[in-house]
Amino acid sequence: MTIHVATKDEVLSTEAALAHCSAPGHGAADLFIGRVRDLNQGRQVRAVSYDLHPVLCNNVFREICKEARQEWGESLHFWLEHRQGRLAVGEASVVIAVSSPHRDESFRACRYLVEQMKHRAPIWKQEHYVDGDSEWVKGHALCSHG
Amino acid sequence: MSREVEIKLFGAFRQYSPEAAIAVSLPESADVATLRRAFADKLEDDNARALLQSSAFATDEAVLGEGDTVPAGARISILPPVCGG
Repeated sequence: MTIHVATKDEVLSTEAALAHCSAPGHGAADLFIGRVRDLNQGRQVRAVSYDLHPVLCNNVFREICKEARQEWGESLHFWLEHRQGRLAVGEASVVIAVSSPHRDESFRACRYLVEQMKHRAPIWKQEHYVDGDSEWVKGHALCSHG
Repeated sequence: MSREVEIKLFGAFRQYSPEAAIAVSLPESADVATLRRAFADKLEDDNARALLQSSAFATDEAVLGEGDTVPAGARISILPPVCGG
């Protein structure tokens, strides 16, 4: 399988991502790691809790990878894993990797996966602040009704 | 004929029900717009009703449009605006 997607409640492996995104004919591999940041909208963040819809999430991840494969080549390899649960500052929330014969396809496809995942995947985050408060982060609406 | 449909809650909606689900009664051939109105009637909080306006209903397979029929037997979820990564 050239496409691997998953949601996990354990530490994400960049080594596994790069091992998957490898082939004799692939001269390029691109790796993206999304991490929990300690500051958002001027507020000090202590941790982030990720909630997600596992089944739909995996469907959307796979759909996005297939779109990228159609755009940048059938031979590309894709890896997309997202964490759920509470993560401390610095922990990886998402690992995305793409490999391809040449670097341009990897860069473009990896960026596509990142941006589409953020806009389309059913994932929500609740920030926990140093002052003790918590808040759900505003996101992108999936609906278009009037 | 009416049917009971359980809506699974995610993200910010979780705070409005400890069971993370709200059940609504719908006509057999109800569409998503009807489901949205029935769901709104179950919400007592103004913030929850505001959040509903920017939220989508979905099965495990896909996000539903307002004119779609609510599929019988499918698990239905309410998805507030998303923000992965």
